[in-house]
Amino acid sequence: MANTLALRIFTLQPSSGVPIYLQLIQQVRRMVASGQLTPGTELPSVREVATEYTVNPTTISKAYSLLENEGLLQRNRGKPMTIAAGRHGAGSLPQRLKQIESQVDALVLAARQLELKSTDLCQFIAKKMEKNRD
Amino acid sequence: MTESVVTTRGLGKTIGKKTILRNISVDVDAGSVVGIIGKNGAGKTTLLEILLGFSPASNGSAQLFGHDSFTLPAATKGRIGFVPQQDELVSLLTCRQQLALIAALHRHWNHALIERLLAAWEVPMDSLIQTLSGGERQKLSTLLALGHEPELLVLDEPVASLDPISRRQFLSEVIEISADHVRTVLFSSHIISDLERVADQIWIVRNGELAWAGPLDALKEAVVRLNISARRLLPSSLPLGNAISQQISGQRASAVVSHWNEEQLADLRRALDAEIEVEPLSLEDIFLEFHA
Repeated sequence: MANTLALRIFTLQPSSGVPIYLQLIQQVRRMVASGQLTPGTELPSVREVATEYTVNPTTISKAYSLLENEGLLQRNRGKPMTIAAGRHGAGSLPQRLKQIESQVDALVLAARQLELKSTDLCQFIAKKMEKNRD
Repeated sequence: MTESVVTTRGLGKTIGKKTILRNISVDVDAGSVVGIIGKNGAGKTTLLEILLGFSPASNGSAQLFGHDSFTLPAATKGRIGFVPQQDELVSLLTCRQQLALIAALHRHWNHALIERLLAAWEVPMDSLIQTLSGGERQKLSTLLALGHEPELLVLDEPVASLDPISRRQFLSEVIEISADHVRTVLFSSHIISDLERVADQIWIVRNGELAWAGPLDALKEAVVRLNISARRLLPSSLPLGNAISQQISGQRASAVVSHWNEEQLADLRRALDAEIEVEPLSLEDIFLEFHA
């Protein structure tokens, strides 16, 4: 069951230090892992994204190709690319942890600078996760 | 195999005793959008002038579409469009008349395209050129280079006088032009955020040489800032092979490195016994670091 996305589903920042293709890849990975993008969902074409965001189409094309290699996207001759089947809900635990690894590194760095203990930090995180449960 | 649109080998330019360009060797494939950045006086305009054949090289070679730049055949010249930094508009003509003049010089002219852009860019078609604002002049000057749909479009600071809306319209057009990977764009600009949108290759011209000539993505991945927080006092100089700059204070340090890759991180963490945050840099920050 295919559905087409609103065009503006990504947030691309050309002036970020992170290359645009990598921003796109990271966002698609996260949205697939969280279930926000379901199998069969059609993605906008390279040209549509490039035009909508006013960015070079080569970078979008590169992102889509790499996501296809990862198995997250599927090319369909003559039709839009879709989220590949078999990617329902969350990835494996190590995969999901890897996706937030850079944020955790930043958090650990900040915590160390504030001389916080690992137990205090973990308790604080547990409290937050309890509070933000749907 | 893609045809190389621009090829230079050991290109140099000297005027009198002054060396303006030194040892420039690049290849540009069809379909690329090359963003060219550099301080004023670094040699950007001279490089473009030599590539286009307005000025001969002092040493080395420059070729466009396989032909020596300085002796381009007329047919090859027709494949090129150029927007110079100083426009060459004729004051006493109207915009329409100026466009008609240029259109007559080309065998192919896309009238529909020009009409669409004249309207979208709000160029006052029947006004005399001498009454145009700086921005309107720049827009007209750009249109003159787009009408014949050249395979190679060379732009020397084409948007310096344009407001953000006009600039964005212009960038959309550049993206449209490059979308089929057939037409090539060389785009020199100080507005680095524009280049981060449309360019896939970057040339950094510094003191007449190319400090970088390669993909924008690779540049952003290679040049990063390392924010270091160590568990013991750091040495007075960090064990980094490619540090562009470093600031060390006790157990904290910050260093900008080039040629970075993730594999270096683990070794560095161990060597310094430190937490290291890898901070990616915008193109503007990278440019500033290259000139620190």
